[in-house]
Amino acid sequence: MNTEGFPATEPLTRGTLLRRAGAGALGVSAASLLAACGGSGSGSSSAASGAIKGQAILSNYPGWIGKHNLADFAKKYPGASIKMTSNATSSSAEVVLQFKSKQYDFLLADTSDAGQASAANLITQLDWSKIPNAKNVSEKFRKAYPWGLPTDYGKVGIAYRPDLIGNATITSWHDLWELIPRYSGQTIFINLERDCMGSTCKYLGFSSNTTDPDELKKVQDAVVGVKPHLKAFLNTDVGAGLVNGSTAMAMDWDYDVALLQQKNDKIKWVLPDEGVHAYLEGFTAVQSTSKIAVIQAFLNFLAEPPQYADFVNTTGTAYVMPASTPLILKSISKNPILVPTDEVLAKTEFDKYLGADGATLWSNTWTAIKAA
Amino acid sequence: MDGDQGGLTIERVTAPPPAAPRGRRIDPSRYARLALLAPTLAITLVCFVVPLALIALYSFGSVNQVDFNVFFGWTTGNYRAFTSSLYLHTLARSVVLSVSTTLACAVIGFTFAYFISRQSPRAQRLLLVAVIVPFWTSFIVRTYSWVDLLQNLGPIDRFARALGLHGHIDILYTQYSIGIGILYSYLPLMILPIYVSLERIDPALFDAAEDLGATPWRQFRRVVLPMAVPGLIAGVIIVGVPALGEYVIPEVLGGGKTLMAGNILADQFLQTGNYPFGSALAVSIMVVLMVLLFLLRRAQPAADPQ
Repeated sequence: MNTEGFPATEPLTRGTLLRRAGAGALGVSAASLLAACGGSGSGSSSAASGAIKGQAILSNYPGWIGKHNLADFAKKYPGASIKMTSNATSSSAEVVLQFKSKQYDFLLADTSDAGQASAANLITQLDWSKIPNAKNVSEKFRKAYPWGLPTDYGKVGIAYRPDLIGNATITSWHDLWELIPRYSGQTIFINLERDCMGSTCKYLGFSSNTTDPDELKKVQDAVVGVKPHLKAFLNTDVGAGLVNGSTAMAMDWDYDVALLQQKNDKIKWVLPDEGVHAYLEGFTAVQSTSKIAVIQAFLNFLAEPPQYADFVNTTGTAYVMPASTPLILKSISKNPILVPTDEVLAKTEFDKYLGADGATLWSNTWTAIKAA
Repeated sequence: MDGDQGGLTIERVTAPPPAAPRGRRIDPSRYARLALLAPTLAITLVCFVVPLALIALYSFGSVNQVDFNVFFGWTTGNYRAFTSSLYLHTLARSVVLSVSTTLACAVIGFTFAYFISRQSPRAQRLLLVAVIVPFWTSFIVRTYSWVDLLQNLGPIDRFARALGLHGHIDILYTQYSIGIGILYSYLPLMILPIYVSLERIDPALFDAAEDLGATPWRQFRRVVLPMAVPGLIAGVIIVGVPALGEYVIPEVLGGGKTLMAGNILADQFLQTGNYPFGSALAVSIMVVLMVLLFLLRRAQPAADPQ
């Protein structure tokens, strides 16, 4: 498998998947996706692979898997397979309820959701000796995501059109907050509490996982202060207005901006000086699963560089496995937005589970912001 | 009882008195009636009574925010939380928006229904189809279509710019766009019941009113309007009730800036996982609606000529 082997189609985006999820939440039935795609094999079955039997059910974003991953796994492990169902959601409650539902064997969950599921004893500890390929994943990400195999991450930064704001340069959250009232009605914020409030925490110099009521009150005040000048809070098509110039600035995810820049090269991306808030996702086994051997085999398989490259090239996400870089599309591996320097990564703070009281405090603060 | 009316003798035929009961007899038709009622009763019980009872039950519970297990400790804390200014303010905003859009629907809907009712039967059929056609498209699609129509540099904005009105049409993600969305989505539900009321008015009444010297305005005020009240009230209920709990339109057209009661309620179930508080919100909104409907019901007999 090599980079030339992939069709030059636009990768799936997490925004597309969330948009589909949003449509589902609003009443459009989201079709379950049985992602069993054809593709080249990655090797013959071994004696060990013969012992792996059964079908494990994965809850995942629709299409959030390599084009060939599932078929190649079934080839390598005859008798074993992964059935993927689409249950995209940005709701921690829904993810945790999926952990409880006994309908799935493993799930895609971010650090906050997996942390909460772990606190509720809803996660099975993996036997890492059965997943030796996990070493291919950067230690930084493995440490940040100890419950399963980390797969992807994304950062929240600033996207803007200099030509629409008097060629001003934005380098920090502070710059953005200064410019929002001057260009009233031309800024979009993310409509997810962890990303929006987390970024505001960074603007104020707080941890994006703070549970200090005083700090969260300041966060509330900071967002409410600029709210009259915001165009909207959106969780899909956040930066779409930057392409046609209907908006000038946006708090946005890196993957979204990487795609937007292909449509309009006037769009600039900033990882603010104060630091950035980020999510980190991975596949985690539920406590009630009886298919742990299949899950571990699949995670080990997915952590092979060619398979992981297939995952990244299909989804277009920022990746967590440097060993896959030679196999990853240059449009991704050479994109400074998706592959930041170590210095930038050092300023990145991932979501953490905040505890019951912390989560309630964040939720109440977010409601107060939205109601203001 | 016999009577003489205009020279004609009308004799009412009375049924013979029922035979005296002999012991306890069970009317078999009673079982038949019950059997016929059973499906309706079962559907009402399963689809309405049980869910409402569950919501009421949940509203007194509490939730473990770690694993989302619900406990029934019979707390009133959820209702006390609802009385915070944050939620009351949101509910008030929802009531104001719901009432104003319902009134706008009533005015526009009445005008359009009246216009339809005065057309030829063929034209009436065509216009009614035109009212119903939007329902053939998904509600979500229709709502999202307004995003394209209202957005900056969208068709309406471009038209306004061509007229030199830029700056006045930028209403996407405001309360106005929510109002437009509700008005557009619910207008057919207002038009149809009003039309049914208007269509039933005997044309001879207009002739009689005219013969008695009523001006067109007086005919409208004293004949048309009173007879349309039942349809108007039905339309107000059909539009006003769902509009108060509406959350899709504020979510799509409000840009997340205008929080409505329906959004808070949906968030409790879909985002926060706080089913008890969400249930308390649902019950509270239901109570508000019942009070509004009760007031409307009380107003109806005075306005209803029948």
